[in-house]
Amino acid sequence: MHKAFLLLVIPLLSYGFWLSEEFKGIAAGVSIFLFGMLSLEQGFKAFTGGALERILQKTTNTSWKSFGFGFLSAALMQSSGLVSIITISFLSAGLLDLVTGIGIIFGSNLGTTTGAWLIAGLGLKVNIATYAMPLLVFGVLGIFQSSKHLKGAGYLLTGLGFLLLGIHYMKESFEHFEATINLANYAMPGIKGLLIYTAIGTLATIIMQSSHATMLLTITAVSVHQINYDNAMALVIGANIGTTITAIIASFGANIQGKRLAGSHLLINLLTGIIVLLFIKPFGNAVDIISASLGIAASDHAMKLATFHSLFNLAGVIIFFPFINQQVLLLESIFIEKRPAIFKPKYLDVSAMDFPETVVESVRLESIHLYENAIHIILHTFGLRKRDLQESDLLQQLIGQNSRPIEYDIDAVYERRIKGIYSAIIAFISQADFTWKMDQSSKLSWLRETNQHLVEAIKDTKHLQKNWTRFRTSNNQATINEYNKIAYQIALHIQQIENFRHEIESNELPLLSLDALKANIKNDDIQMNRAIETLIRERQITPETGSSLINDSAYMYSIKKNLLKAAETLFLHSGTSAAKIEQQLTLNEAEINEVVHTVDTPSMHQPDR
Amino acid sequence: MKTMKIEKLLHKLQAFFDTEKHRKMQHIQELKKVLLKLKKKERKITHVLQQANDDCLIRHYQTELEIIRAQRKKGIEVLHHLKKLKKS
Repeated sequence: MHKAFLLLVIPLLSYGFWLSEEFKGIAAGVSIFLFGMLSLEQGFKAFTGGALERILQKTTNTSWKSFGFGFLSAALMQSSGLVSIITISFLSAGLLDLVTGIGIIFGSNLGTTTGAWLIAGLGLKVNIATYAMPLLVFGVLGIFQSSKHLKGAGYLLTGLGFLLLGIHYMKESFEHFEATINLANYAMPGIKGLLIYTAIGTLATIIMQSSHATMLLTITAVSVHQINYDNAMALVIGANIGTTITAIIASFGANIQGKRLAGSHLLINLLTGIIVLLFIKPFGNAVDIISASLGIAASDHAMKLATFHSLFNLAGVIIFFPFINQQVLLLESIFIEKRPAIFKPKYLDVSAMDFPETVVESVRLESIHLYENAIHIILHTFGLRKRDLQESDLLQQLIGQNSRPIEYDIDAVYERRIKGIYSAIIAFISQADFTWKMDQSSKLSWLRETNQHLVEAIKDTKHLQKNWTRFRTSNNQATINEYNKIAYQIALHIQQIENFRHEIESNELPLLSLDALKANIKNDDIQMNRAIETLIRERQITPETGSSLINDSAYMYSIKKNLLKAAETLFLHSGTSAAKIEQQLTLNEAEINEVVHTVDTPSMHQPDR
Repeated sequence: MKTMKIEKLLHKLQAFFDTEKHRKMQHIQELKKVLLKLKKKERKITHVLQQANDDCLIRHYQTELEIIRAQRKKGIEVLHHLKKLKKS
């Protein structure tokens, strides 16, 4: 909350407390209720060490499934805000697409309406304070436990207890309020009333950041006839629009996809609100008919309000759900992804910080983003593009053809394509790993190392570039050939890593392929040095050029090794049972050296045809 | 009463050993699958090697073939060891 706003609110509230005992009770009820919501969120977060993320990934592969997930999670957590924050963080991390994200938002819009039924059906009819007390006692007991899950359960029970207690306080205070002042006197009929009360509902929800709190105030007030039913309906519509503020705030730190989702949430709820306001009479009639068929008394405005809340959210789903793809197109045209002058992180979202597995996945995806940029730089240094890798037969030809000096400022490209992302990853990791248990911390530490390997590879490329540019225009064909060979072998290695990525996707023993890649790096190094020695001996190149070639061959070796180490961490999933079997067959350093030696023997120099 | 307890214990032990046996069998089956995949890969690389006409690529394929052979050899040794364990 903004400090200036706080300075205004505190004296106002204090004055209100001094004026009215009942107002103090209502404000305390809202505060206890909101504190309960916070506690409930805290409790759910204790269970998000991977389980929630796994469920989300498995249960959201179709629009209807994502709708179901949104409905159930919002109904269970009683917070559409928490669901939208999780969805935005997953979307930013690239774990969900926009269509799935919008599906979840539709589901959570409907799922959150169960809260109104709980308040109207249970909260106002039963003395819920009697249930709140034991929940609070057991909850606090749980909070004091050292086990993470027991602590989480404790927060859940305490949250629930405070929710019920908050409802009780408000109910009591409104009943006493009735004796002194009647808010119904401020009722506004007609369109003006509808619009003003919708605006009040929106504003109240934005301030309290909880549509549940607004719903609770409205339902309690309408149940004791402090506001009239028509104005209460407008307040509920307003609450539904105001609730999108949570997603909007969460999207500030999110990438373009997160912003699109928040935009979609606002669009859906705003348009639904407008439609309901336009057809308020037919909606009112439909609520009367449905309520009567459910056995709700015509005078039971609290229950009718809960019916209205569910009905108009259902209407929103029916009207807009079939047009998800069109919405995506619209949002993509509104929120356009700009090609950055300086590349920025795509997947690091501060809102994901509370979900350890998501943080690890975000950092992994961002590191892949960095890997792609590193590959781009390395290939461009040698006058190649990634698409050239598809034609392996032409690679050598492409490198040989281009005899012009290649002007490529690696320092400038590093600043543009690497530095921003790299420093963001490092900052993100250091921000995250202080508070976490070992499992995620060690994964993050590997990913940090991976990023260092990528940066090392670029630095080696920069060193190599100096002589590569200088000697490619040399008059000595043998020198040109050797430098072309260096470029070719690096490009070939990158291509083989790309093949390795495909092998992971098609599960073609990727772990075992790594051994061949490692052996090839060693073998290439031996062959390269041997060839250079021969050229010096045969006086085809000067010893000075030879020493430069030996240094540059070492840079090539380092580039390949660093890229392979990065690829191993970024692309390989080692947890599966097949991977464990593969692990048993992988070769150790000595075994790989033995194979390299076998291939290197003179008899093997000629291909076995 | 005592006989009942011993019987129950024996049942539990048997179930435990059955699970262990099942686990070993599963391990053997999975290993066989990996070895088969390696064999197929070896054939594929041999074929590609015959088509290759670039020195560097030829050397890479030869290295890959030798690596696969070493991995298969290692796998067959592990398989024999597992089969022996299963019999004992």
